[in-house]
Amino acid sequence: MDVHSDYQPVMGLEIHTQLATNSKIFCSCPARPSGSMTVAEVGANEYCCEVCAGHPGTLPVLNEQVVELAIRAGLALNCKINLDSVFSRKNYFYPDLPKGYQISQFDKPICSDGYVDITTSTGTKRIRVERIHVEEDAGKNLHFGEFSLVNLNRAGVPLIEIVSRPDIRSPEEASAYMKAVYDLVTAVKVCDGNLQEGNFRCDANVSVMKKGSDTYGTRAEIKNVNSFRFVEQAVTYEIERQIGVIESGGKVVLETRQYDSAKGVTVSLRSKEEAHDYRFFPEPDLLPLHLTEAQIERIKASLPELPHARKIRYESELGLSSYDASVLMENAQWVELFEGALKLAGQNGKSYAKTFTNFITGEISRIEKELGVSIAATALKTHHLVEVAEMLDQKLISASVAKQLVPEVCASGSSFKALAESKGLIQVNDQAALDKAIEQVLKQCPEQVLEFRAGKEKLLGFLVGQAMKAMQGKANPAMLQELLKSRLKQQ
Amino acid sequence: MSATLNSDVTRKIATLARLKLTDEEVVRYSSQMSQVLGYIEQLKEVQVTGVEPMVQALPGCTHTRPDEAHPVERDAEGHLPTTKHAPSVLHDSFKVHGIL
Amino acid sequence: MRHLSIQELHQDYNNGVTTPSQVVEGYLGSIRKSHHNAYISVLEKRVREQAIRADLELKKTGKVPSDRLPLFGVPMAYKDLLTVKGERTTAASKMLENYIPPYTATCIARLEEAGALGLGKVNLDEFAMGGSNENSAFGPVDHPTHAGFTPGGSSGGSATAVGADLCHASLGSDTGGSIRLPAHFCGIVGFKPSYGRISRHGVIAFASSLDQVGPMTKSVYDAALLTEVMAGEDIKDSAMIAGQSPKFTQDLFKQGIDLRGVRVGVPKEYWGDGLDPDMSRVLRERLKQIKEAGATLVEVSLPHTKYSVSVYYLVAVSEASSNLSRMDGMRFGVRPAQADMASSLEEQYQISRSLFGSEVKRRILLGTFALSSGYYDAYYKRACQVRRLIAQDFDSVFTKCDVLVGAISATPAFKRTEKEQDPLKLYLNDILTIPANLAGLPALSLPVGTIRSEKLPIGLHVIAPRERDESLLQFAQSLETLFQNASQLGRK
Repeated sequence: MDVHSDYQPVMGLEIHTQLATNSKIFCSCPARPSGSMTVAEVGANEYCCEVCAGHPGTLPVLNEQVVELAIRAGLALNCKINLDSVFSRKNYFYPDLPKGYQISQFDKPICSDGYVDITTSTGTKRIRVERIHVEEDAGKNLHFGEFSLVNLNRAGVPLIEIVSRPDIRSPEEASAYMKAVYDLVTAVKVCDGNLQEGNFRCDANVSVMKKGSDTYGTRAEIKNVNSFRFVEQAVTYEIERQIGVIESGGKVVLETRQYDSAKGVTVSLRSKEEAHDYRFFPEPDLLPLHLTEAQIERIKASLPELPHARKIRYESELGLSSYDASVLMENAQWVELFEGALKLAGQNGKSYAKTFTNFITGEISRIEKELGVSIAATALKTHHLVEVAEMLDQKLISASVAKQLVPEVCASGSSFKALAESKGLIQVNDQAALDKAIEQVLKQCPEQVLEFRAGKEKLLGFLVGQAMKAMQGKANPAMLQELLKSRLKQQ
Repeated sequence: MSATLNSDVTRKIATLARLKLTDEEVVRYSSQMSQVLGYIEQLKEVQVTGVEPMVQALPGCTHTRPDEAHPVERDAEGHLPTTKHAPSVLHDSFKVHGIL
Repeated sequence: MRHLSIQELHQDYNNGVTTPSQVVEGYLGSIRKSHHNAYISVLEKRVREQAIRADLELKKTGKVPSDRLPLFGVPMAYKDLLTVKGERTTAASKMLENYIPPYTATCIARLEEAGALGLGKVNLDEFAMGGSNENSAFGPVDHPTHAGFTPGGSSGGSATAVGADLCHASLGSDTGGSIRLPAHFCGIVGFKPSYGRISRHGVIAFASSLDQVGPMTKSVYDAALLTEVMAGEDIKDSAMIAGQSPKFTQDLFKQGIDLRGVRVGVPKEYWGDGLDPDMSRVLRERLKQIKEAGATLVEVSLPHTKYSVSVYYLVAVSEASSNLSRMDGMRFGVRPAQADMASSLEEQYQISRSLFGSEVKRRILLGTFALSSGYYDAYYKRACQVRRLIAQDFDSVFTKCDVLVGAISATPAFKRTEKEQDPLKLYLNDILTIPANLAGLPALSLPVGTIRSEKLPIGLHVIAPRERDESLLQFAQSLETLFQNASQLGRK
């Protein structure tokens, strides 16, 4: 019996994302390299002044763009933006923490009570966001055994920390949530999304409990996971590890762990039990942050359409099913194609919406997989999508013909119409022509007609096939069948 | 609220504060601080229900600065201001004891 | 004393009686000869260069350009808690014995942009923690005029430098009375502006929500002018009074000695039985003069005054414990040789931080304790609540009066001791100065006489509502004029 099915994993993610600002949060040092330099190319302590190095007598001054971006992130994650928030000091000693405390937000963060909707193989689910707060990053330590070298370029870089409630129940949900948050913060340009440089990383709190129990298990924290794939792998391993510990009679320890992606395991870092006493207290060097409703409205108005609003529009205005809308929205390029086609189709856009969606999630998805490239890399463009929808609507081609033509459209960029015509695939919907073909078949197959009328219903297929042959395969199949059926009813 | 600072508590606090105290200092400071804390006990008699803690002597809210990056300038000899006089520097980084 | 006010100094410059370089050399000479130990660093080279530039400036027109440079040629001393770029700033601590800041404090930059000359950095209690300047790693400071007495603290060096003619004026800082107490002990003017009036950028932090820089001078006019030059918004300090700062010298003499219409509050807690009787007598005489000048005396009470020391020794030390965490010998300051041989990171921190003096260690321990888990609510939080009650006492009292007067401390200057005193006893000296810091109010000590055969100076405490620095200075000026007219002040 699968022992795992006895246990319910419970997880929460704390995501740290660097804000896309020019300067640091509390001083004017650059927060990122200019031009094409990467972070690794900047010399040690080049981006370090007396303020971010914590010299005596220095004071923090808040970067206005940090406030703007934090509000944007809060709106994107459906949070309440708190008009009054307060900064706090989190006190602990570590060489990469120059002041001996980190300026963060403790009891009054800038955003609270939001949510993110995710889609997994089990459907859609809402993950609640407890809070978002603003804080400064620490520097970097390079370890050389007996000594370490401290580089403060990163110290003071602005971060937001997005804390979810422990609503995540599977590794797939964990990775889907992390990706969903990533998509949201990059969509609203809060973060430049550079995973390699660690601008977006998460700590995963993982615990397991017996199904049906109402007590949460002890959690372990896996720190600094910086990819969606790794988060899924890391929590998968950790869940199994914890179950293993419990099943063998042990107790899960409250601790910090790290994911070793090469070995595929989590390793203990330090016992969280000897937890730092952070001695949080309100930061006296910064007065409270006060926002206005007008400010928040202005930012709201400047945001691009956010996923949840978009989904509502797709479902209620365009009539897409929730599932279809979700699948479509998983892919930013598909959304771009879809929105482009809607626009181009003008008045007909709305009525073609379902067709566009089906075509994208069907044919386009298929060709992408076949060719191994995204649709943007092919010659199939927005106008093609509109064209094929029109032709399907006018029944000029059947769905199967459209499917047939897709590879060539992708390769050459020729219009569906031109291709269909050149291959003689344009469908005939003219009733007179169909009637003629039907009469022809009735004449040519008298025995089958008699047998059908006598009760052999199966012969309909054969007769339809004959009529289609007479039409050289160009007849609208559904129409042909209907006409033949009603003709056969007559004498 | 009554807390006398015995040697154990004093040692624990000293560790939190990264202060190394001699045994003599532990005893002396424990006694001196206990005396101060004993005096501070008087705060217990004040009625504070519903009183909002006062953290700042100023009303109002924080100001912000524009998001402009100003690079740090090296001096005439090419030194960075924050590493120039640092106690121990290697490869422009601050050198500290190994972190386990 | 050389010049009582900057106006007098400028007059001498204008009349060709002396030049900036001559004045500077005079002070440098006095400093060399003095045994007060007021100075930690004398900035000889720097100040001579400044003086030469000032001489040239004066030569151009023969007149002090006081519109452009209101502090032209004024030799000043700066408490060694304030940073000067490229010059050693020690905070009187072994920790920072070799610290060379890469930037200058805003208050000093503004003074020097207005023409002030920086003679040097003066002594203080280590990290501004103390009330007698006996906690300095650079030795104690002597009283300017009464050998063997303490000048008070923590701005002891600043007070002695002014009182002993080792500079024209100085900058001190006041967190719980550190400008006003030494001013009272030494017989000079000491002004603590409203919290947020002068930028704290470059002021090595003790208690962030209480610290304020202020002038220590021989006259109220000088204090007003220095404040005027330093005050006003600084982008580098987020906790400041918003808007344009008033011109404090503009209406300084407007009230004059006619105090009709002025309601002077007399808080009973500042006139208690515990005050030194000789001191109390002189202060009461002054109070009588104030009444005779037309002021209405209003008896008031600030009932939470008695809790001020308890609140301070929780709030201030908590903030301090956090502010001093950055002193770890890793990026600046002294790292003892043994620290490099430490066997662990923890030990490296401990060895570096062993350079703190005892008073500083005590306060760090107390502050760490007050913030720690399990004690936060009962100590730090409760203290913040009582702080609000203390501030509210003032709010309610200021509906009935415009300004408060009383004692600065229970006693005048006392004799220095060799042995370490009982900390609590020393802390209690601040019980009357602390409340103004907690509430962020402007407060000043005005020298009003001397007592006993030794002629120990005493000061009168004047406190005004928050942000009413202008009114306070005006009132203090009126008193200075009034008392000068009425009797000898006992100044040399």
